[in-house]
Amino acid sequence: MSTYSEGKKKGHNPTLAMILSILLAGLGQLYNRRFIKGIIFIILEVSFILTLGNFINYGLWGIRTLGTIPMVDHSIFLIIYGLVSIIILAFAITIYIYNVIDARKQAFKIQRGEKIPNIREAIRNTWDKGFPYIFVTPGLIMLLFIVVLPILFTVTLAFTNYNLYNSPPRKLLNWVGFDNFHKLVTIDVWKDTFFHVFAWTIVWTVVATTLQIALGLFLALLVNDPRIKFKRLIRTVLILPWAVPAFVTILIFAAMFNDKFGSINRDILSMFHLSIPWLQDPFWTKVALIMIQTWLGFPFVFALFTGVLQSISKDWYEAADVDGGSRWQKFKFITMPHIFYATAPLLIMQYAGNFNNFNIIYLFNQGGPAVRGQNGAGGTDILISWVYNLTFNINQYNMAAAVSIILGIIVCLFAFFQFRRTRSFKEEGNI
Amino acid sequence: MKKALSLLMALILVMGVLAACGPKRETGESKPEDTKKKTEEAAKPDKLVVWVNNEDKQKQALQDIFAKYTEKTGIKVEAVPMDMLDQVKTLALDGPAGKGPDLFFQPHDRIGSIVLQGLADPVDLGDAKGDYIDTAVDAVTYDGKVWGAPLVVETYGTFYNKDLVDKAPETMDELMEIAKNQTDASKDKYGFLMEAANFYFSYPFFAANGGYVFKKDNGSYDVNDIGLNNDGAKKGGELIGSWFKNGYIPVEVNPDIMNGLFTKGNTAVVITGPWNIPTYKDALGDKLGTATLPKIDGKIPQSFVGVKSWMLSSYSKNKEWATDLMKFVTNQENSLHYFEVAGEMPANKAALEDDKVTSDQLIAAFAEQVKYGEPMPSAPEMQQVWEPINNALAFIAKGQPVGDVLDEAVKAIKDNIAASK
Repeated sequence: MSTYSEGKKKGHNPTLAMILSILLAGLGQLYNRRFIKGIIFIILEVSFILTLGNFINYGLWGIRTLGTIPMVDHSIFLIIYGLVSIIILAFAITIYIYNVIDARKQAFKIQRGEKIPNIREAIRNTWDKGFPYIFVTPGLIMLLFIVVLPILFTVTLAFTNYNLYNSPPRKLLNWVGFDNFHKLVTIDVWKDTFFHVFAWTIVWTVVATTLQIALGLFLALLVNDPRIKFKRLIRTVLILPWAVPAFVTILIFAAMFNDKFGSINRDILSMFHLSIPWLQDPFWTKVALIMIQTWLGFPFVFALFTGVLQSISKDWYEAADVDGGSRWQKFKFITMPHIFYATAPLLIMQYAGNFNNFNIIYLFNQGGPAVRGQNGAGGTDILISWVYNLTFNINQYNMAAAVSIILGIIVCLFAFFQFRRTRSFKEEGNI
Repeated sequence: MKKALSLLMALILVMGVLAACGPKRETGESKPEDTKKKTEEAAKPDKLVVWVNNEDKQKQALQDIFAKYTEKTGIKVEAVPMDMLDQVKTLALDGPAGKGPDLFFQPHDRIGSIVLQGLADPVDLGDAKGDYIDTAVDAVTYDGKVWGAPLVVETYGTFYNKDLVDKAPETMDELMEIAKNQTDASKDKYGFLMEAANFYFSYPFFAANGGYVFKKDNGSYDVNDIGLNNDGAKKGGELIGSWFKNGYIPVEVNPDIMNGLFTKGNTAVVITGPWNIPTYKDALGDKLGTATLPKIDGKIPQSFVGVKSWMLSSYSKNKEWATDLMKFVTNQENSLHYFEVAGEMPANKAALEDDKVTSDQLIAAFAEQVKYGEPMPSAPEMQQVWEPINNALAFIAKGQPVGDVLDEAVKAIKDNIAASK
């Protein structure tokens, strides 16, 4: 420490630097005799206030009040201005905090008498340290406006009273807090439908996805057996359901499953003197949906597993044979771990995908058939198709947003789990 | 220390939010719009922007009419093609941003929700009001005000195959006779088919016996008075249920199946709309005939009438001239031209009675049926009606007790209306 004692400035006060910087960004830097940095900060702050001050003021006012005069203030626009203002403000505050911290740190350094780098050194330091950040920043800003802003918008809608009877520009929206969520679980009309739909969504996700994975696994093992011939042909045939767009397939299935005129009842089941009400009975509609989803989904899993199976070294099995391992033991201790460690993240995303599989539910039977005593959603509506119904048929934007948030949280849980699995794959994959 | 700093910053932010105050402007009596209206009243604009339905024939017809208007007044008309059903949500965003049209084109049953959103202004049709058929004016009237200039009317009627029946069934009894004699489900032969589980098509059978959706008086609807489970409605429900019970109509019928069976010549009579004429004509040729709905108790039942009309955007800056343009497009001469090119029935009275419409055998029946029709309710609460009542019809088709099912449906409608406010 003694080497610095000459340059030590007892009078230099870090607290003063900090307070100056809080009053006006850059003042503290000036006090620290870092003139260029200080001037840059001052220019930044002044220009920020001059150019964006009004906008941010308006935006914050707008998102707080959602407007005061109908037909002049448009609450939806005000929400968006407000969100943009908050994002910009968050940037500004980050820089501001950096400015204050910087002033204080430098002041301490000066107090201790550390050597101040000259301008060229300072620039070089910033460039060396900040290089990755400088290049990431534009992308990050884009990301905020393209990805985060729409999500924030949906989230905010869930806390307003935005529906058909209360739509801008004629009416102004209001903040209603957690009312919509409260309604969803307390008011009979919403509650009954919500829990019914939620329960079926879970059953649908678990059963349909598990079946498609099981079938994919079974077929992959079968086709991979060395005794099977014409492997390439069989594989091609099994991939076919994947090749036809699901959109087309589902519509064709809907026609085929028609109770009276569809070929399934008429040509296939009639041989056994059976006629199943595929589209009229909720239970059979569910069965049909699960069968179709299994059919549509297994090729992907099959292709995935086939790929992984190829990569398992024969040595493992030879070693198992030497040790006298049974067929089941080989499957359980060699094949299974290999397959699932390699594919777990993708399989979890299969579950998440089915959880929000709007296409098949909507195209097959529009969520029908109707169920007596259940209002607002059909027998096979899952949450996402119900949200569609809420938005486009009865214009309950606020409730749709609330349900969407719940959906989002659940899918986030899937994604979170997936990342966990990914890490476990990295650590334990090399069994 | 860092924590304390960020806390301080957060505090400053919160203070900033609380301090944020709104834009200074005059409130109350002198709204900006009012002054605008006064100054721009009669000024002739250079051009008017019109959103037209994105359908080739319709665009072509309107293009001709707009050209005539430009010739007459010197105002250019910019026609922007946009699917009719997308127009409202686009207007909700484009309007306030100043990119909206002066006129847009909508089916009348959405008027209620458009008015609730404040997207349209009432239209002053002036003397021209008497030029449109009453049903059409009725349809575009909501809350006692007129919200559009009707261009097109649409309803459904009876189609029959002349090979299978000599003439159209005139009464319900005749129709049932045909259904009884010609239906043989095992051979895919049917006497009579319709989408009976779709309330849009089933409404006449409710209405003929005294059922109604919302009680209407003085051009506005009393949405608390729902007539879908009164005695008349239940009688209509029983009638529809009997078709399914007797096996005349299969539960699984949908438009594809109905059209397929009719064009194959397997069905004698179907009830559907004029939009099917081209397909049917291609398949059946001269064998195809049309008629009004069969009479119930000696009267032609009221079908739902849809009216497509021009509406005035509340963001339009040239309301006077925009109104003038919509009257021009829907006058006798132009709506006839529209009928000839686009094939949609005119809402203009003189045009609807013109030879060009009445001499078209297939269309004439629908033009006749329109006179007996009743506009679909344009109250926004109608949105809450469709699903419960369609579900009820599906239950009736499956043989559930009509009375209970309709009571449940009305309760569901009332619940939905209450929950949506």
